[in-house]
Amino acid sequence: MSADPLHALASAGKGESTRGLLRVIILALIAGASIASRLFSVIRFESIIHEFDPWFNFRATKYLVANGFYNFWDWFDDRTWHPLGRVTGGTLYPGLMVTSGAIYHALRTLTIPVDIRNICVLLAPAFSGLTAIAAYLLTNEMTPSSSAGLLAALFMGIAPGYISRSVAGSYDNEAIAIFLLVFTFYLWIKALKQGSMLWGALCALFYGYMVASWGGYAFITCLLPLHSFVLICMGRYSTRLYVAYTTWYALGTLASMQIPFVGFLPVKTSEHMPALGIFGFLQLLAFLDYVRSAIPSRQFQTFLWLFAGGTFGIGLLGLVIATSAGVIAPWSGRFYSLWDTGYAKIHIPIIASVSEHQPTAWPAFFFDLNMLIWLFPVGVYLCFQQLADEHVFIVVYALFGSYFAGVMVRLMLTLTPVVCVAAAIAVSTLLDTYLSTKSPKPEESQAAEAAEGKKGKSGLKSTSKPVVGIYSIWGRSMMVSALAVYLLLFVLHCTWVTSNAYSSPSVVLASRLPDGSQHIIDDYREAYQWLRQNTREDAKIMSWWDYGYQIGGMADRPTLVDNNTWNNTHIATVGKAMSSSEEVSYPIMRQHEVDYVLVVFGGLLGYSGDDINKFLWMVRIAEGIWPDEVSERSFFTPRGEYRVDGEATETMKNSLMYKMSYYNYNTLFPPGKAVDRVRGVHLPDVGPTLSTMEEAFTSENWIIRIYKVKDLDNLGRDHMSAAAFDRGQKKKKATKKRGPRLLRVE
Amino acid sequence: MRLLTLLTTALLSAATGALAAKKTSSERFQLYHSKALSTSPVKLSEASYRELTATPRDYSVAVLLTAMDARYGCQLCREFQPEWELLARSWTGGDRKGESRVVFGTLDFGDGRDVFMSLGLQTAPVLFFFPPTTGPHATASPEPVRYDFTGGAQAAEVVHSWVARYLPDRPHPPIKRPINWMRWISTFVILSGGLTFSYVAWPYVLPVIQSRTVWAAITLISILLFTSGHMFNHIRNVPYVAGDGRGGISYFANGFQNQYGLETQIVAAMYGILALSSISLAIKVPRMTDPRNQGIAFLAWFGILFVVYSLLLSIFRGKNPGYTFSLPPFM
Repeated sequence: MSADPLHALASAGKGESTRGLLRVIILALIAGASIASRLFSVIRFESIIHEFDPWFNFRATKYLVANGFYNFWDWFDDRTWHPLGRVTGGTLYPGLMVTSGAIYHALRTLTIPVDIRNICVLLAPAFSGLTAIAAYLLTNEMTPSSSAGLLAALFMGIAPGYISRSVAGSYDNEAIAIFLLVFTFYLWIKALKQGSMLWGALCALFYGYMVASWGGYAFITCLLPLHSFVLICMGRYSTRLYVAYTTWYALGTLASMQIPFVGFLPVKTSEHMPALGIFGFLQLLAFLDYVRSAIPSRQFQTFLWLFAGGTFGIGLLGLVIATSAGVIAPWSGRFYSLWDTGYAKIHIPIIASVSEHQPTAWPAFFFDLNMLIWLFPVGVYLCFQQLADEHVFIVVYALFGSYFAGVMVRLMLTLTPVVCVAAAIAVSTLLDTYLSTKSPKPEESQAAEAAEGKKGKSGLKSTSKPVVGIYSIWGRSMMVSALAVYLLLFVLHCTWVTSNAYSSPSVVLASRLPDGSQHIIDDYREAYQWLRQNTREDAKIMSWWDYGYQIGGMADRPTLVDNNTWNNTHIATVGKAMSSSEEVSYPIMRQHEVDYVLVVFGGLLGYSGDDINKFLWMVRIAEGIWPDEVSERSFFTPRGEYRVDGEATETMKNSLMYKMSYYNYNTLFPPGKAVDRVRGVHLPDVGPTLSTMEEAFTSENWIIRIYKVKDLDNLGRDHMSAAAFDRGQKKKKATKKRGPRLLRVE
Repeated sequence: MRLLTLLTTALLSAATGALAAKKTSSERFQLYHSKALSTSPVKLSEASYRELTATPRDYSVAVLLTAMDARYGCQLCREFQPEWELLARSWTGGDRKGESRVVFGTLDFGDGRDVFMSLGLQTAPVLFFFPPTTGPHATASPEPVRYDFTGGAQAAEVVHSWVARYLPDRPHPPIKRPINWMRWISTFVILSGGLTFSYVAWPYVLPVIQSRTVWAAITLISILLFTSGHMFNHIRNVPYVAGDGRGGISYFANGFQNQYGLETQIVAAMYGILALSSISLAIKVPRMTDPRNQGIAFLAWFGILFVVYSLLLSIFRGKNPGYTFSLPPFM
């Protein structure tokens, strides 16, 4: 350490303790900065839970705080997925709620009265401070230069790739999961380096916490075995590896099986098989290691071949039998969609419809990581220099992580930590080289090279020569100032991205008025509040699943489907009701006891995330279950266009979604001027008519429209003829139709 | 003489017409099913198409109206044809007794121009399914069902399930893909050749496998590929480049969520150059013993890094118009 020029400069004449103190102060400041940069949304709007999933987590947390842990564990929620209900306690990852519940109770014990909502809102920023510290620890295991650790902490603290899921109010599983991910990796490296059972057990403990928190735990479950496997292939099997891995696997698997949602998956599903396989493989290796030390080498050769062949054969046979007998569950859809990238598109529309599951275009990488994205390969390359066990981990993680981040936008989250670590190694190497104050003497260095010429036997060709240093003072100052500019630009970029892209609660929308002042569009909460105050406690609300959690959380009303998309058929039922004509939809809604239907319509405001734009997914999902009754083709014009204006197909115009979106919309405009600002089209003069439902509420900017499903007609007519009668039309058809039912007429 | 020929032709055609008209529905099915047993799908002409799809019928017909001639340049037709033939062959082969009562037929545009005209078809291929109008499985409407080709040429299994959907309570012979012997043989040959080669060349291959530089290169290249959006291209099948509407080529797609194939390669190359210059600055330059050479190398790599990063920022500004940051020289 003392050879490090940076430290020689920084602590000239000072002791280790001063440096330690400085490091603690810097880390505290970084943690503070990472918390501060996530507070944009609280300052701009208010302390509010964001988006969709966080609303469910918030609701579950309130339930936990109100009813205690055991009730939460056994929670059956009859206010979602009506009429099925959901075994919520057994189908969620409880880590997040339990964490905030524990914080809440701890603060109450300390007699600090804090609203549970504020804990939930600020949990993600608080944990991001911890993530920065975990990144510091992880990087310190990789390189002796402690400036790398501090840089990694800084990068981790403000990289937009992580901020995107952890701003204040984004109360989601990822909020704590990324901290747990990085910290579990740190503990794993620690356990592996020392071959220590204690660190291995700690790693398993945090792995268990991670499993309790986020479905992305499978990333760890696959990465650690992969790392071990690569190490074994490199001929680096050691008792350290054996102890670390075995401890982690045994304890970690037991811990993960305590979560009801995970249960026996770790011994059944294929995602967990690599971990089990490597566990078995390590036992074999350890056994062989023992046998080799016990018997002569010639017999050992024969033994080895027989043993290896036999084990492989039995293992393969067992796997085939277990899979065909159905003991091992087949690979789940989400997992398939990661490997066979065309799979989801064809087979699982519900996965393909979620924007988080889309592949990542290059601007997204640059947007989320800025200059780290090109420093990332540099850091990985530097890891190849020494290539100790922990560097192999970085290399494996980098490859694995960048593949998955490329396939799914959401997995940018799991890539970000390794990018930060690798980029920090790169930047700190550059800084350490160019921040040195003393210039080398040419004669000395040539002599040193001659002396060391034979010795260098490192793996990389480029590092075979000894380091000389930079001669010119101008070169050093140029490089350092350029790096300072880049780093500054990085900070500006991160702040800009956080402020502009990731700090919108998406429950409350902000827009700019022509004079530049901010205007808040609060239609969602307006509508949910209306539902809360004007409908029965148990009025069932039908909407597309995106809004299920919000309705449950803000309006506190039962919903048919929500963002926990566990039942595809039920979602398809809602999709069918939305995409069919009223005659078909009404019986479906009656069967499901729907009282109100909620649609999101952005045509007036130009809000593009509305239901008409999502409509094709509803059609596709419904078509997946009822291919005879719903057909995507019939929503396209003969020329293959998806239109909503006068040229729209009849199926489109008759669909419930279209009618509910545009009902009465043309009355807002002078005749012939009705325009949809999202699709940018003029609408026909005559708007759609609704006969089975009536408009109940429309929010200020028409974003949310709520319709009440009419009860059965008092006179026993069907709703179409009743509506026609009300309009004053005489229906000849109606009487004709009722001809055969003469008996019932008096 | 001439009159005679005319007369005989007229008589003959009347006779065949009368014959066709006289044939009952089940006779027609027997006729076409026996044809199908030798070659399925049955290659239809205009007359046989009309005869086969005439009402009343107590059987179902699946007809593919296609345009295989190279003149029409129907890519979809050519892609779908082998799958269609596979479906028809395995269905008829699996149901030799005709219990499912389906006939598979193909009508090419060259053989049945008038059919296309009368149906008002502008595009090919079109797959019609004619449900039976009489008999136990009769449906209410004699109108054919049209298969939706919007998803591109589908595999035989997809069309199989589509056809099977309209044939409830009847056997659905599964699709039997023929074993691709060529592929197996070639795989075997290549595999054994590769094994032999690696056995022979093992002393030379081993250093390559164990070379850290090779692994580093592989790792870095894959990372660059993945982080420059290669998987997006792979999944979305984006075009390599596109025209800009004025006869030129636009290399960069508009919009944040779009990209072209070439665009990602440019970006990957820039990332590569940036990473390479950083590696040189961090590793190579400090190891140079000659002060003058070191100064030149430093300046070169430093300049490259500076210019390329500036260029990258300016390209990113093009993708994301609201972005405000830039570096000289590309401001």
